[in-house]
Amino acid sequence: MKVKVKGWHGVAVWRWDVPNEEVCGICRVPFDGCCPTCKTPGDDCSLIWGECTHVFHMHCLLRWLQTEGSRGQCPMDRRTWVTAK
Amino acid sequence: MSSRSRQNTIDKTSRSNINHNPTYTPMPRKTSKKYDLVNHGKDLIFPSHKPIPDRPNDAVRQGHQKQPIKKLVIKGLKDKPKLPANYEEETWSKLRTAVQAIFNCQRIGTSLEELYKACENLCLHKMASSLYNRLAGEIEEHLKEEKTKLVSNLNENDTFLIVVNKCWMAHCEQMGLIRSIFLYLDRTYVLQTSGVISIWDKGLEIFKKQIMSSSAGDIKKKTINGLITFIRRERNGDSVDRSLLHSLIHMFIDLGTYCPSFENPFLSETRSYYHHEGLRLINEYPVPRYLKHVKKRLKEESERISQYLDWKTKNPLTKVVDDELIKRHVDALLDKGFNDMMEDQNSDEHIQELGRLYDLLARVNALDRLRLYFGSYIKKTGSGIVNNIDQESTMVEDLLALKKKMDSIVAISFDRNYNFAHTVKESFEVFINQRQNKPAELIGKIKDIPLLVTIYWQALTCFNMLFNYLLAKYVDLKLKLGNKRMDDSEIEKTLDEVLVLFRYIQGKDIFEAFYKRDLAKRLLLNKSASFDYEKSMLSKLRKECGPAFTSKLEGMFKDIDLSRDFMTSFYHSRISENLRTNIKIDLYVNVLTQGFWPTYTPAPLILPPVMADCQEVFKEFYLSKHGGRNLKWQNSLGHCLLAAEFQKELVVSLFQAVVLLQFNDLKQKEKISYEHIKEQTGIEKKELDRTLQSLACGKVRVLKKFPKGRDVNTTDEFIVDENFDVKLIRIKVNAIQMKETLEENQETNERVFLDRQYQVDAALVRIMKMRKSLSHNELISELLSQLKFKAQVSDIKKRVESLIEREYLERDTEDSSILRYLA
Repeated sequence: MKVKVKGWHGVAVWRWDVPNEEVCGICRVPFDGCCPTCKTPGDDCSLIWGECTHVFHMHCLLRWLQTEGSRGQCPMDRRTWVTAK
Repeated sequence: MSSRSRQNTIDKTSRSNINHNPTYTPMPRKTSKKYDLVNHGKDLIFPSHKPIPDRPNDAVRQGHQKQPIKKLVIKGLKDKPKLPANYEEETWSKLRTAVQAIFNCQRIGTSLEELYKACENLCLHKMASSLYNRLAGEIEEHLKEEKTKLVSNLNENDTFLIVVNKCWMAHCEQMGLIRSIFLYLDRTYVLQTSGVISIWDKGLEIFKKQIMSSSAGDIKKKTINGLITFIRRERNGDSVDRSLLHSLIHMFIDLGTYCPSFENPFLSETRSYYHHEGLRLINEYPVPRYLKHVKKRLKEESERISQYLDWKTKNPLTKVVDDELIKRHVDALLDKGFNDMMEDQNSDEHIQELGRLYDLLARVNALDRLRLYFGSYIKKTGSGIVNNIDQESTMVEDLLALKKKMDSIVAISFDRNYNFAHTVKESFEVFINQRQNKPAELIGKIKDIPLLVTIYWQALTCFNMLFNYLLAKYVDLKLKLGNKRMDDSEIEKTLDEVLVLFRYIQGKDIFEAFYKRDLAKRLLLNKSASFDYEKSMLSKLRKECGPAFTSKLEGMFKDIDLSRDFMTSFYHSRISENLRTNIKIDLYVNVLTQGFWPTYTPAPLILPPVMADCQEVFKEFYLSKHGGRNLKWQNSLGHCLLAAEFQKELVVSLFQAVVLLQFNDLKQKEKISYEHIKEQTGIEKKELDRTLQSLACGKVRVLKKFPKGRDVNTTDEFIVDENFDVKLIRIKVNAIQMKETLEENQETNERVFLDRQYQVDAALVRIMKMRKSLSHNELISELLSQLKFKAQVSDIKKRVESLIEREYLERDTEDSSILRYLA
């Protein structure tokens, strides 16, 4: 007997492409969770990557950049923040 | 007799009217005299006054001016007019003869008008007092005679009462006539003299003294005994002359001795009668019949009151009946009959019976006792249902039925009593949340059920969890595909009913976990009967527990919607066209957000190259649309549609599909070994066992196993079943779920406990941050009031220790029971 796959219902789980257990440098919450102002993780609270390779919750970083003391710099290495891509 | 007494009262009122103006009768004559004088005087003083022409005496007045005046002289009598010396005696003897004639029921020789005049004359000659006394003496004389007649009748039993009644009736009638004759005496002398009672009342007084007093022999005693005997006979079911009873009892009321002479012995007789009856019947009758009997008795007694007793007797009489028939037997009634009445399946009748019980117990303030029994019945029945392991499948339905029944009993039988409704709620909470502390005992009970079940029960040691599990399962069953017999309103109703039970559970987080797991399966395996139902259930849960409770569940729906949108865009892309023309696999992927869904342990699987390509294509496309993400495949949730020979289609899980694909390249009747399959597919042993078992030993057997048997061993060999033939075109090969459920349940439990741990930690820190320092006991009591689930104190202690280790808290150096918050 020969069988052939005709249809396939797959299930996949997505997560942020960051090393396991890593936390946001600003709020110290794991990237799998959400920033302190959000209630649900996932699409509603996305991450942001800088060209300096540092990652933060987007909400956390935007709030940081709005403060005067930030001078538009990455909080980790004080280089000017440039969003990757 | 009744007309007699009515007439009596009318007479009394008319007399009291006169009382307001006792001297009314003589007045008119005097005033008219005065008026004449004054009128005359006026004319004298004002002679010039213009005469009124039409006055008849005008002519006289004109004449009076011409003729000499005639004087009218009034002279006093020389001798006072004297009554004849024997006037009083004569008149009295006339009256006396009449009175005696009345008493002897003979014709009265003289006309009544004459007798009335005679009485009036005697009164006007101030002989009223002696007349009154003579009359009283006459009455007394007569009643003495009556008494001797009655005494001679004392030995009669049945007829005695009739004789007494006759005597009383005659007395009333005769006194009525006598009073009419002596009306003038009644209205003048009696009213004007204090301390003298009216002739009617005097008659009653003498009657009471002569006949109905205890000093007057046994007549009274015998009468009362006779009455009570009559009533007892009526209670026993004989019919008696009620008008006789009415007449004689009202005799006592008229004589003013009702309460002491009749009511008291009557009540004590009633008490002893019902005392004995109660003791006898409570053992003899089943409870419902007994209750019916009591109702009947109460009705009879109230009839008795309206028919012949004084209305004042109503309260003490009903109290006696209530006391003896109900109050004394409350416990016996409830002990003996309550459970039977609750168990009764004939719903109309048992609701009526319970209503009767409620009414009767309400009379004697014993509703609290009833409520106690009601509560313990619910608890007992409820625990019976939830501890009956054999009927696990119908448990939720049974509970819903029980709830419905209790509600209808409260609504109909128990008068919508708020306290009883509360009892229902309380009792449900108790048994739904009762913990099953003896898992060993529980497992002992189910020895004969297959081992799997035993283990599965062990996993659910605490009942709370089991109930949550079953409730979630029940919802699952209702919302699953293939349960289409129900229409919308029915589904709504079922879900509402489920929520009723849901309200009673503590630890709703466990329910959420189980519900989430089932929901995930329904959504991912397309098993949900309708998204509308799912959403309606979700909105009910949100209404009940707030948005925080359902946010993750809502996220799951969102993922499903997003995936659908994403798949449409995938189909329209060039990549997928390539996929369809070359690989010819219809791919659909649900992409889940990790936090919303239950966590699934990744299951390794080596995909055949075609499928792997397919997967890779999708992954690339996804990542190109969503940067910064990682995609992990959940093989255990995938399922496939396989095209087999003879145009048949197989619906199988991904694991099953991959295993079946291994048989594609084999020659006819070639076997492959277990080890070979394991090597080629990379499936873990447990999972592979299950998959092979479902393919070779399940309902639909696509493979044959050598050697034959129910369980799969690592040394087995497999071959395609060439004779495999099922009439259906699309065949579903069920996966074996049992063991998985066990593992999943354990996992779900562990997750819930982990979640709870975080909640306990958070609550502890929150409290300590606010209070700064607290004793251990205070902390625990405050914590328990904050937590939404029941936490074990020992678990809390462990969390406190852990917080101390992590330097959130510290113990006071002097008093180790005091904890401080470390900022």
